[in-house]
Amino acid sequence: MVPGLRPDDASVFVAENMAASKQPTEPNSSIPEYEFVNVNTKPFHIGSFRDEWLKRLQPRDVSFQPVDQDTFEASFAAEMGLGEETMAELRSVCRLDRLTVGRVPETEDDMIPEGEVILTINIYFPGNFEKFNYVRPHMTLLMTGSHTLAELRDAICCVSDLQVCGEFSSTPDMAPDFISKDIFKSAFFFFEGVFYNDMRYPECQDISSTTIKWTKSQNFPSFSQAKMEDTRFMDLKVKVGFPYLYCHQGDCEHLVIITDVRLVHKGDCLDRKLYPLLTHKNRVLTQKCAVCHVFISRWYTTRDQFAPSDPCLFCDKCFRMLHYDKEGNKLGEFLAYPYVDRGAFN
Amino acid sequence: MDFYRKHVKSDCESLLGRFQQTQSVRFEVFSNIWKEMKFVQIFSGKPTHKKRAFCRLVLDIAYCYFLPPFSFQIRVGGLYLLYSFYHCQTASTSEQLQIRVALKDWEDVKNFEKDAMDAQHLDVVYILKQLMICKAFQFTAMPTLLLYRTKRNEEKPMLCEQFIERASCPQELINTQLLEEMSNIYELYKNMKTNIISQITAPTNTSVNLIRKDIVSQLCSTVMEFYNWQQGRDIFDEHKNIYERTSSQQECSNRAMLLASIKSKAYGEASEASKSRRHRQVETNLTTQEDGSFLKERHSRVMKQSLRNRTDKQIHMLVWVRKP
Repeated sequence: MVPGLRPDDASVFVAENMAASKQPTEPNSSIPEYEFVNVNTKPFHIGSFRDEWLKRLQPRDVSFQPVDQDTFEASFAAEMGLGEETMAELRSVCRLDRLTVGRVPETEDDMIPEGEVILTINIYFPGNFEKFNYVRPHMTLLMTGSHTLAELRDAICCVSDLQVCGEFSSTPDMAPDFISKDIFKSAFFFFEGVFYNDMRYPECQDISSTTIKWTKSQNFPSFSQAKMEDTRFMDLKVKVGFPYLYCHQGDCEHLVIITDVRLVHKGDCLDRKLYPLLTHKNRVLTQKCAVCHVFISRWYTTRDQFAPSDPCLFCDKCFRMLHYDKEGNKLGEFLAYPYVDRGAFN
Repeated sequence: MDFYRKHVKSDCESLLGRFQQTQSVRFEVFSNIWKEMKFVQIFSGKPTHKKRAFCRLVLDIAYCYFLPPFSFQIRVGGLYLLYSFYHCQTASTSEQLQIRVALKDWEDVKNFEKDAMDAQHLDVVYILKQLMICKAFQFTAMPTLLLYRTKRNEEKPMLCEQFIERASCPQELINTQLLEEMSNIYELYKNMKTNIISQITAPTNTSVNLIRKDIVSQLCSTVMEFYNWQQGRDIFDEHKNIYERTSSQQECSNRAMLLASIKSKAYGEASEASKSRRHRQVETNLTTQEDGSFLKERHSRVMKQSLRNRTDKQIHMLVWVRKP
């Protein structure tokens, strides 16, 4: 060994220098960043995202209360050590503002708290209709972080929920008793490998279990399950801009994309009772009755000897006038199904 | 709405280009240019149902100029643009759209504020704080709404090269202190190695030569070359010669001389002005055309146009010439 130089010296020297130079810190996964630029983000936890913002901001930055202009100028002058002359000059050079406030609720309890997270969610229409030229209308909903997935489910209007199964030519008055929404209540959301099932009602089944069993046999990464009604948006870990799934009625699947996540702002609607807030809904062309061309069709007939085409659509009045006599007896041969027009939610 | 994007961008860039030429960061200067260009008319002539979407587009475009990699002066221009757009939004929407700030950009905003405060740019700080006070900012996850648009072949957004901050990371990273430490470590390592090798193996065994010789001098000269290229000065050759000479001398005296030369270069070079003042330095490189072309030569290959394009161009020109 070299006299005067011990191996420890060199390694300590190196170690000290390594520690002194700044190592890049681990990227914080609660700060959303692009997975693909302008397409979607990497997954992040919504509650942690909110905490990260609140850590960086002062309470007055997220408050709904406007700051008085004079107070602001006084504190600015004090902070920067400016005299009145400079402040006057600044004031004249830089102009003033105009305040707008969003809708405020009547009671304090209904107010959305400051620092709450607002999510903008796009629901897309399923493309599983073959016969008619399907349009893909979508609705845009605003939700808060404290809302549960079940509340989102309730806000989604899909015509397949109103479908009635069965042939009702002999009993046209019984049709309204069998709405699908009441019979088939199961539904799930799928976010980042977790199926969130609706288990609020005793009739609800776990319809995701079939998919999960299948994936286990196919070497997919394992998926888990949770309850829709117990999961708030704040607890989710999701990607912004990435398509997810909402499935109900067994096979009616909708794309769900969370397009935006942000802190609530003074200019937003602040009434909690109005959320989930519908901000956009695509209108759909409605099919009118083949006879009067005025009312929206509610009956769909096939093999109908009275109808000009097969199949044919009728509104309720024209249907009954054509197919039943005054006593309500069925006339002729036909099969009739209750029809829910796609534009029923317009 | 994407149709407007290109045109709004070019309008903003022409405004910011004029602002850049004034070499000022004063809001007064900016607002004079704004008034001269009658920029507020950007909001006129839109049908009512498109006003909101257009305002959103305009704010999103202005937001880009507020963030790195643009130079401090351009970022100030971006801030003034945001401020002006925010207040000139048409009243008919009855709602003002906010400026979306993403969480990942907040640190850049804060650093910008700090730079402005350190340099006592009062109007910059005042305007930034004013925007915070009147709740002009919305604190979001990402700067724009994301709709999973993968199918569109969008052109990669081209950043205006003239606006981009001059890179100073190499100089900041490879400073005198680092070079001294590196040469210390290098000497220690070399001494240990020679002592161990002479005891174990034959001295001519090259399998233990794992690092570059003269790494410190090479590193220093590379950074100097980069810096001088940036400054447009051609004193690189001089430095190179100095380092070649030093590497051929004895180790002990070599170290002392190397340190001395490094220090002399460090004190000799023009120290980088702080970012908030850099726009006042005489920029000889990026704004003049010859250095611009230098940049292009180094970083891109000139693609020859296809025969078809060249033929089309020729025909087009012929037609144009022949028109009476």
